[in-house]
Amino acid sequence: MSRILWRSSLRHLLRHPWQIGLSILGIALGVAVVISIDLANQSAQRAFELSTETIAGRATHQITGGSAGVPEELYVQLRVEAGVRPIAPIVEGDVAAPAYPGRAFHILGVDPFAEGPFRSYLTGLEADDGGLVLLLTHPNTALLSSETAAQLGLRAGDSIEIRVGTARRSLLLAGLLHPADEISRRALESLIITDIATAQELFDTPGRLSRIDLIIPEGSAGDALLEQVRALLPAGVELERAAARSQAIEQMTRAFSLNLMALSLLALIVGIFLIYNTMTFSVIQRRTLIGTLRALGVTRREIFTLVLSEALIIGLIGTGAGLLLGIMLGRGMVRLVTQTINDLYFVLSLQELTIAPLVLLKGLLLGLGATLVAALVPAFEATSTPPRAVLTRSTIESRLRWLVPRAALGGVLLALAATVMLLVPSKSLWLGFGALWALLFGFALLTPAATVLLMRLLRPVMGRLFGVLGRMSARGVVVALSRTAIAIAALMIAVSVTVGVGIMIGSFRQTVVRWLDSSLQADVYVSPPSLVSSRSDAPLDPALVQRLSTAPGVKSASTYRGIIVNSPYGPTQLIALELDNPRRDAECDAAACHTSAFTFKEGEPQEIWPAFFEAGAAIISEPYAYRHNLHAGSRIRLGTDRGEREFSVAGVFYDYGSDQGVVMISRQTYEQLWDDRAISSLVIYAEEGVDVDALVESLRVLAGPEHDVLIRSNKALREASLEVFDRTFAITAVLRLLATLVAFVGVLSALMALQLERARELGVLRANGLTPRQVWGLVTSQTGLMGLVAGLLSIPVGIVMALVLIYIINKRSFGWTLQMELSPGILLQALLLALLAAILAGIYPAIKMARTSPALALREE
Amino acid sequence: MTSIQPQNNGTGPLIELRGLSKAYQEGERERVVLHSADATISRGEFVVLLGRSGSGKSTLLNLISGIDLPTAGDVVIAGTSITRLSEQQRTLFRRRHIGFIFQFFNLIPTLTVEENLLLPLELNGRVSAAERQAALSLLEQVGLGDRAQSFPDRLSGGEQQRVAIARALAHDPLLLLADEPTGNLDAETGRQVLDLLDRLTRQAGKTLMMVTHSSEVISMADRVYTIQDGRLVERLMEVAP
Amino acid sequence: MFRFILITLIALLTVAVAYAIGRPAGEQQVQATISAVESLGAGDPEGFARAFEPRPFSFPADHGPHPEFRSEWWYYTGNLETTDGRHFGYQLTIFRSALSAEPALRGSNWATNQVYMAHFALSDVATGRFSSFERISRGAQGLAGAQAEPFRVWIEDWSVEGAGPAALPMRIRADAGEVAIDLVLESDKPLVLQGDRGLSRKGPEPGNASYYYSLTRMPTTGSIRSDEDTLQVSGLSWMDREWSTSALGEDLLGWDWFALQLVDGREVMYYQLRRRDGQIDPFSSGVLVGANGTPRPLSHADVQLEVLAFWQSPHSHTRYPARWRLRIPAENLDLVITPYLADQELHVSVRYWEGAVGISNADSAAPAGSGYVELVGYDDQPSADQ
Repeated sequence: MSRILWRSSLRHLLRHPWQIGLSILGIALGVAVVISIDLANQSAQRAFELSTETIAGRATHQITGGSAGVPEELYVQLRVEAGVRPIAPIVEGDVAAPAYPGRAFHILGVDPFAEGPFRSYLTGLEADDGGLVLLLTHPNTALLSSETAAQLGLRAGDSIEIRVGTARRSLLLAGLLHPADEISRRALESLIITDIATAQELFDTPGRLSRIDLIIPEGSAGDALLEQVRALLPAGVELERAAARSQAIEQMTRAFSLNLMALSLLALIVGIFLIYNTMTFSVIQRRTLIGTLRALGVTRREIFTLVLSEALIIGLIGTGAGLLLGIMLGRGMVRLVTQTINDLYFVLSLQELTIAPLVLLKGLLLGLGATLVAALVPAFEATSTPPRAVLTRSTIESRLRWLVPRAALGGVLLALAATVMLLVPSKSLWLGFGALWALLFGFALLTPAATVLLMRLLRPVMGRLFGVLGRMSARGVVVALSRTAIAIAALMIAVSVTVGVGIMIGSFRQTVVRWLDSSLQADVYVSPPSLVSSRSDAPLDPALVQRLSTAPGVKSASTYRGIIVNSPYGPTQLIALELDNPRRDAECDAAACHTSAFTFKEGEPQEIWPAFFEAGAAIISEPYAYRHNLHAGSRIRLGTDRGEREFSVAGVFYDYGSDQGVVMISRQTYEQLWDDRAISSLVIYAEEGVDVDALVESLRVLAGPEHDVLIRSNKALREASLEVFDRTFAITAVLRLLATLVAFVGVLSALMALQLERARELGVLRANGLTPRQVWGLVTSQTGLMGLVAGLLSIPVGIVMALVLIYIINKRSFGWTLQMELSPGILLQALLLALLAAILAGIYPAIKMARTSPALALREE
Repeated sequence: MTSIQPQNNGTGPLIELRGLSKAYQEGERERVVLHSADATISRGEFVVLLGRSGSGKSTLLNLISGIDLPTAGDVVIAGTSITRLSEQQRTLFRRRHIGFIFQFFNLIPTLTVEENLLLPLELNGRVSAAERQAALSLLEQVGLGDRAQSFPDRLSGGEQQRVAIARALAHDPLLLLADEPTGNLDAETGRQVLDLLDRLTRQAGKTLMMVTHSSEVISMADRVYTIQDGRLVERLMEVAP
Repeated sequence: MFRFILITLIALLTVAVAYAIGRPAGEQQVQATISAVESLGAGDPEGFARAFEPRPFSFPADHGPHPEFRSEWWYYTGNLETTDGRHFGYQLTIFRSALSAEPALRGSNWATNQVYMAHFALSDVATGRFSSFERISRGAQGLAGAQAEPFRVWIEDWSVEGAGPAALPMRIRADAGEVAIDLVLESDKPLVLQGDRGLSRKGPEPGNASYYYSLTRMPTTGSIRSDEDTLQVSGLSWMDREWSTSALGEDLLGWDWFALQLVDGREVMYYQLRRRDGQIDPFSSGVLVGANGTPRPLSHADVQLEVLAFWQSPHSHTRYPARWRLRIPAENLDLVITPYLADQELHVSVRYWEGAVGISNADSAAPAGSGYVELVGYDDQPSADQ
């Protein structure tokens, strides 16, 4: 193609810096949002993989199980008597370091003599002062990576304070590990390595191992060995592939990551609208020029290439900037993502962003792809420009008006298709999101028709309010529909995203609040400080439990025990519930008081509780039932200390505490099948007339300073729970904000271009006696009208989106039933947001127009 | 692309219109703009097309240049029936063999005068130094040799049209089509532009077909056509007394 | 036997520990390098028991461990043959090392200050194959340990067991997969207390000594598995028991140790300490046990040792002596000692050469017996031709 033609294109772009600049900004923001979320997700996943790799090492199989882990004799039996090698014992657990808030550590207790074949990072041990001997021979000694130690300001010989369950301990750094490479460095970032004896002492699990690692070859020899090992396993202990466990854990966050990804794509979709808008506009702007070029013999293909190339340049710059911005944004996102994972799923320590080249490449392709897709229509549009020298706007607009009903029809069809997709009985999240996007596009296509309709309604109103000028601005929106419609659609999409996501979060929160109100019925809650907010499996000191539950002012106390057990569905959180009421009186039957805290989705309480307390039945939470297709009356299998056992499901209860779901059995059933006698948390009912806050205080005094235990009133726990909720939705709120930002940029660009293009028309009006103030009014009232239309349209679209998010996406992602809650505030907010964006966008063109001398405006061709 | 090469090199008529008709659908009604027009135009002729607004003059130009296709009939230029060419071939034919001059000049605002001039040449391939020199000398001939680096918006209307004339001739086309080239100029400037156009085309031996209202031009023309009620009629020249 | 280089052994053991922890196992993603931990465990003998003067030995108690000393070993070597004359040499050594003088009071069964290491090697002269293996384990959970009554020392399923006060007969079992031994050892001669009534001095400094006794002629029968074959064998074994805490002088480079069992019913033990300056240390010494079991101490001056040939390891490129002439003029002994296999270099965490040797009379070239030789400290020594 001609160089001169290129030059012409480039100069065209440069002559419209506002338009192009905003387009670039829009696409950059869109790409940045997607990239940052992707980077954050990938970093979290990488960190998780690394930590599991670090911890599992080269183990192919693991022996796990039992309420308190694996008996250590099994290890000796396997190694010495059965001669199974390589084999290594592990005692591990997560601990907090109170001096370093926000950092959690994983203690890996190993037998250094068995470690060689499994985990090689132990090799970089500093060659000084007999650190290894110290590690082996002294209690409370540990190794840290030199890097982590430096971060924490520690050196070999220093001590680090940790909190194990409720107990505070101090570990002496016997030495430092010097990782040889980047991977080792990251692997060791949050590990505290101790001798296995030390770990057993720290976690107070004498005689027990967390697991036994094995390396078993593939093939028949390995299979025979597996059989041999399995035959030796006691009941409740299982042999499984090392990968299976980490996969099961990783699976937990998949829906969460997918949700973030999908929401981030919304920002890009708004970005696509922006590019589409810019390119369409620049084509329309240059119709005469393109017509001339066609007359001079420039082929359609050349025109097509030209327009697409221009888009590509914008896309390339925008995407490039987006990648940089995305990396910067990602640093913030990764903190939010990690926070949520820590609140909801598992302990994940992530100190930095992994910049995966693949993610950047994906972002690049996504950005360019989006640009090209968006530019395709305007590029085709450009080739259909007849090779004529003189073209009137009216032909374009009349053509568009011809398009309006067809676009509307397409929109309706798309919306119908989306509805069909939503009605398909499936658990596919992608299908859900596909339908959501189809709906949005459908609504976008309906926008021009809706705009024409609304303007017809608004014109008399505007006329009455502002006279001729008012009618003129209303008419202007319709006359320039080719450009106004896209701007309105972009703004509508963006605002509806904020409406939809806003309603979803609000409904979710309201549902959780209601659930907390009904389920938190006791007065005081006692639990160990937990690293993962949604579960607590560290045990409370039995003596402490005894002391607290018999304290004066305590009427009765119930206990919870939470552990993770194996099941055919993967690791399952099991809660053993005990309703102990030593001083039961007639007034309040603790069982009645307590059990009313459960609201059942399936099953009748009067049948459930007898089955639960007397017949060994289980009750399961709604997400657990949803995930595994279970109902009241189903049977589930769980790995117990006596081997795998079957439980009947008496009922399904509402629970918003864990999206993985929980299984609950009675303490009595638990003690029959598990050897564990520990208690994870305590629920206390106060005597009549006892001041709860005073009781909390006295219980705290009773607990003493040596126990790091959380004693909270009903009210405090409720607040803490909501705080966690708000924290987990922080990232969604940020995404919502970013999508709005992109939309704002889009509207700014579209409206600005539109108004700047009207220079000539406004020049004529000025020449005919319109004052600058009137021009200003005309421009801003027109953009304001567009904002109003977008705002009005975004309300129903946002509500539909919220419905899909609440009843399809959330259900499929997490299995929760949420009650939709429409707050007028959010709707009003949407309207204001749209209006504000539109009016702000009109300011610059209005000022510019008002200041420009009419002669100049007229001269411009 | 042999099909778009003119087939009667240098001999025979340049333009032949055979039973050329063009009708537009306007709602229910069909509006006939051109009805079975026949004409033969030789090389080097200066042909003027007269007619009222909306009489179909521009339509005829569009048909001749291949921008538009006739409802019936044929346009043969230098032996090539352009109605039988594809859209792509017609575009390439146009780019090589036809020069356009528009009423509103239609210079590319984002290109300098020189670039505007070179654009048709570039579209046809690489520009040789000789071609470039020739094009620049054309610019000298239209009296704008010193404005090569200016952008069109810095030129007056007359100057812009002079650049457009140079652009139309730059790639040495067989045929020049001018659509009311003076329509947007004052009388004096219009006259200058016409003189220039006449001089340059005759000098280069080009065929020029011009749509105009201006009766002044008639005196310069070799042949005058009018379109009346969709019919192409040749006006006989009055023999000078 | 020899091994008075106690501190070296401790160092070796701790190197071995570090090595075992960090042994790179094939390709790996998470990799770090081995850092030398040679200094680990070396150092202050404070708190440990020391060998200052002769002590009464008491059995079976002294067959068991002496955890108050820093290190200790049970050392078995032997030359065995099948009835059709296929010759094997074997070595099984179990080392004990105390990481600290006092065990800490701990709440876990895994906690211990005792670490055990074993080396197992088999020389199959007929196939020319030499195999060596190593195990390291903490002395806890029954994974490894030693006890006097009944006598047992073991690391996982490698073990030596005995019955009664003399712990005789002793049964040695070690299975490393491709090779295995299962042997029963009797004793033809009484226990030999080395040095001064069992106190073996290693240097001029008091306490720089070990308690050391040997069984020098142990008729052995049992089975050996090499590759797929399980073969019945018989022959002679040699046992060394030694424990100590003391440190070795820094001027020593290594040692050559000989345990020779002669067909005339006599045994010779001799170790030669090589100093960094190339001289032979005057503390080099040995013992000659008469056919009736009477020991006669040998001093450095009593023995003339001459290297006749060298062998360079293709694995480590270390050059070892590979044939000797040993003369004890006072006893009228003139022997040529030749390894049954040149390559008996152990590929374990510490590299050394320990192998079965054949003995012939220097004059008549007639076979005069078999034995074991250990060569340590040749790694750092520049080879003679460089």
